[in-house]
Amino acid sequence: MFILTIILKYILTNLKEHKLRTSVMLLSILLSTILLFVSLSIGASYESAQKKMARGMTGSATISVTTKDSATGISLDDIPDLPEIGVKVGIITGSAIYHKEGYYESMDLIAAEIKALNQINKLRLVNGEEITDFSGNQVILPDRFTSKFSIEKGDLITLQVKGMPVTFEVGEIAAYDTIFLRQTRGTTALFPLDTLRKLVSQTDGYNEILIEPAKGVTTAELKNALQNNMPNHIYDISEIVNEAQIAADARQKSMPFFLISFFALTISVFIIYSSYKVVTLDRLPIIGTFRSIGATEKEVTKVFLFESLIYGLLGGLFGIPIGMLILKFILRGIGKTLSNGIEIPVIISPLSIILPFAVAMVVSISSSWLPIRRASRLPIKDIVLGRVDEKHVSNKATILIGIVLFIISIILPRIAPKSMLYPAGGFSLLGLITAAILNIPLITNLISSGMERLYEVIFKGEGKLSARNIRDNKNVTQNIALLFISLSAVIVISVVGNFVTTYIIDVFHGAELDGLANGDMDQSFVEKVRNMDGIKKILPIYIMENSVQANRNNLIRLEATDNLDWYSSMFALNYSNGLLEQAFYEFHHERNILLSENCMDRTGISVNDIISLSYNGMEYRYRVIGSFKSRATDAEAVIPSYYATQDFGMQTYKLLAYTAVDPEAIIIQIRDLFGETPNWSRTVKEFTTDALATVEAFLQPMHSMTWLILLLATVGVINNLLINYIQKRRSIAMYKSVGLSNRQNIQITLLEGFSSGLIGAVIAVFVSYLEIQTIFLVAGPKITMVPELKHSTFILAGIAGIVINLIGSVAPILKSHQMKLVEEIKFE
Amino acid sequence: MKTLNSQVAIEGKNIVKYFPSGETNTKVLQGISLKIMQGEFISIMGPSGSGKSTLLYILSGLDSPTSGSVYINGTDISHFQDEKMSRMRRQQVGFVFQFYNLIPNLNVEENIMLPLLLDGKKIRDYRKQLDHILQMVGLLNRRKHTPRQLSGGQQQRVAIARALITNPQILFADEPTGNLDSKTGLEIINLLKTINHEYGQTIIMVTHSPEAAKSSNRIIIIQDGLIIDNESGASYLQSSNIYSPPMSSGMFYGHEQHQA
Repeated sequence: MFILTIILKYILTNLKEHKLRTSVMLLSILLSTILLFVSLSIGASYESAQKKMARGMTGSATISVTTKDSATGISLDDIPDLPEIGVKVGIITGSAIYHKEGYYESMDLIAAEIKALNQINKLRLVNGEEITDFSGNQVILPDRFTSKFSIEKGDLITLQVKGMPVTFEVGEIAAYDTIFLRQTRGTTALFPLDTLRKLVSQTDGYNEILIEPAKGVTTAELKNALQNNMPNHIYDISEIVNEAQIAADARQKSMPFFLISFFALTISVFIIYSSYKVVTLDRLPIIGTFRSIGATEKEVTKVFLFESLIYGLLGGLFGIPIGMLILKFILRGIGKTLSNGIEIPVIISPLSIILPFAVAMVVSISSSWLPIRRASRLPIKDIVLGRVDEKHVSNKATILIGIVLFIISIILPRIAPKSMLYPAGGFSLLGLITAAILNIPLITNLISSGMERLYEVIFKGEGKLSARNIRDNKNVTQNIALLFISLSAVIVISVVGNFVTTYIIDVFHGAELDGLANGDMDQSFVEKVRNMDGIKKILPIYIMENSVQANRNNLIRLEATDNLDWYSSMFALNYSNGLLEQAFYEFHHERNILLSENCMDRTGISVNDIISLSYNGMEYRYRVIGSFKSRATDAEAVIPSYYATQDFGMQTYKLLAYTAVDPEAIIIQIRDLFGETPNWSRTVKEFTTDALATVEAFLQPMHSMTWLILLLATVGVINNLLINYIQKRRSIAMYKSVGLSNRQNIQITLLEGFSSGLIGAVIAVFVSYLEIQTIFLVAGPKITMVPELKHSTFILAGIAGIVINLIGSVAPILKSHQMKLVEEIKFE
Repeated sequence: MKTLNSQVAIEGKNIVKYFPSGETNTKVLQGISLKIMQGEFISIMGPSGSGKSTLLYILSGLDSPTSGSVYINGTDISHFQDEKMSRMRRQQVGFVFQFYNLIPNLNVEENIMLPLLLDGKKIRDYRKQLDHILQMVGLLNRRKHTPRQLSGGQQQRVAIARALITNPQILFADEPTGNLDSKTGLEIINLLKTINHEYGQTIIMVTHSPEAAKSSNRIIIIQDGLIIDNESGASYLQSSNIYSPPMSSGMFYGHEQHQA
């Protein structure tokens, strides 16, 4: 016990001394705790915001009840009082068109009891006030709409309702949030209940009743209860959104945050483990002294583990509150955007507090346990006499395990069944990192052998020595491993982050399209556009919405084109199993149809099936020649224009896609050409700018987090270089004793730094490429976009790695100048 | 066999060395002057803390004196800048340490060739010399081994080979048997004797072991930073039973004495 007290005192003194190494180690535990906490919290908040956006106006309501006969309204009393029901809200809906300076904006009009509506989806006015006295010809509009058309509170606006102009006063301006959120084009406007009743002539009842389940009741249970208690021939009871789909989509979009958590964890494990390894080696004499005066193996292990527990505790205790501050800071940083857009609900779940805290403790203790246990088991005599050498583990077994793990990690996500893709992907990511770490000594040795010959020619003896020094050098391989983890984290997070950004903002990504005009157009209209100056490609498209059935399944949107080649490139159609050139050629000559993958999943139709398209009581047989995914079009089916006119009597084009030298100039002329005809005409750039304004709030935290992981990576690398110098100090002294000059030392150290940086960067680029492949293999079946791998990301990360290592070489160079040679050499 | 010549290999003039010790400075060497002739095998002995190792490091240029001068082959090295001093270390002297000081990730051959590489020499020009030295130290079949694959004695042989590869005129050794068992220690001392005898290299060795010291042809005794015996060290050796010699007695009876 006495010994225990002495050792404890020693540890506390050590902690108090604020040694640089202790500070760096504490900082890395602290940073990884913060990063883990913030990334988990933002990830959860982001997922929740995505879900909120997907639910749109329905908020917490999950079931919609309408009458089968759309002419008849539905009353709140029609819904039986069931314990499964939480809140029910009657909604009246209508539509209108807003027109200003050539812009046409379609509007969904809604009205409900504000009190009830607030229960499922609380309105948020931009002035932060509550709605009072909302009646008469007033309208509440979202700020996204008002700012676009420079509309202020109190202004009068005119809407075309059922073809008639009606003027309203803008009663309030609301945030583009809650009921105003939508995933489709256009705007939602809120009206007083009585006003909209009159406008759409819905004198009694509502168009739709939205129901929120009671606490603890699932949507399925609620739906079941309603179906059992309401006549099915009168009412349609449906789930508003597909919760599972929403959750899956949201998870996909919050992927970068979870990747950040994953890498933060990996980096911190590595930093803490390598720190402890060196700290333990450094303390061997102390351990030896304590053992020699009677401390048992267990006592030494216990006390040193206690020290790591202190580090973990400090990391956890300070990390979480600091993390909360940073979280607040990140979210406040986007506050301005929030006032105009979607509010991100801050979710700090117990898990996001407990997990980082537990990780800080577990990682600290487990990282220290291995080296401490080893040190405490060493023969006292060897420690006291300074005869402890690092155990030389057989390289062959390690390399073999590394190679096998590498192969498995590459193959697994490619052969795993769909249901096992996530675990397979997780294993693959971890496996790739582990395999790389295991094989780094082999790779380093191979590369350094080549460098040795090259450097000898260029830099003479110093060059040969610097390359040779990298070989079989544990310090160097450890440094390369940490550099590789940090760089690959930055590369993967950048690529995935950019991908998600593009995925969210740019639905037209990869589409060879400059603009779209949506409205009724005849052939002469098309010809006029074709003759406009600077037009490159023009593609008129027929659209039929909810009027054609495929094998008795309603097709939500069927489009027809006379140029499938252009259609494919303009809407970035991604053919699931490739589409043969022959099929492109054949498409227009027979009754062929292409179906979206979603449509095929919904209807059960397969490629090569002959299906019947029915319209107005007539049936036509079409052959399914392929399936596609596309984010740029909502079309469920595409057929040749010729048959659209023949079979379905299409005369008027609804959509015109174009590419042009100056898309803005063309869109102005198109709007002019439409005149008073309602239309929705936008350039792709305008569309993307609109989308960006909506999701900007989401993207900001992602960029902040990428910087945080870079900071952690830098701390890790500095920590490692410091460790490297501590271990290398003696070896520099040995070199100096046989005649190494300071100039030669600078040259060798810089060359070593450059070479190990280069090796780390090459491995990082290669492994992160494979990691990105894995991530997109896992996410692939659900997304329709291929990740863009910019060479610049990889090259910049590589250069950053080399620069970090070169900067890290400066301290050892300076320190070795002041080195007391005799002291370093004389004492083992 | 080469014999001693009368040229001075090293000369120290009034060497003083202070070491900071807490808030005061401790005078470790109090003005030592000595001459060592080419081909001599000198042992420096003295109690712990007497300043013998400090003197050795100053004479070899690994440390600098607070005042005084060191001449190697007539050149004052006390004011050498780093580049010049490093070159001198590479070309004119070799060093053998108690703890071998080998680079752990370099193999035997590479460790030995280190001074040549640093001197910008082409390794292939020294292959024959390397083979010869490896044969001399008995490590021909261990040339590709790393230090951790060798015994202590073998590691010290590598250190000696490294010190000899540039064919330096002077070899410094700081307790070269201090970390070895008696049998291996004897082998190392015999090797140093052979080098001195066969190649005429000047050897200056710090040792605690009277038996090892007996192999040299002059023993310098230092006490409290001053030379108290510069000739035979006989009186010191007679009282050497205060030490626990690492080698068994009667080990070095066959050594030859050279006349200065």
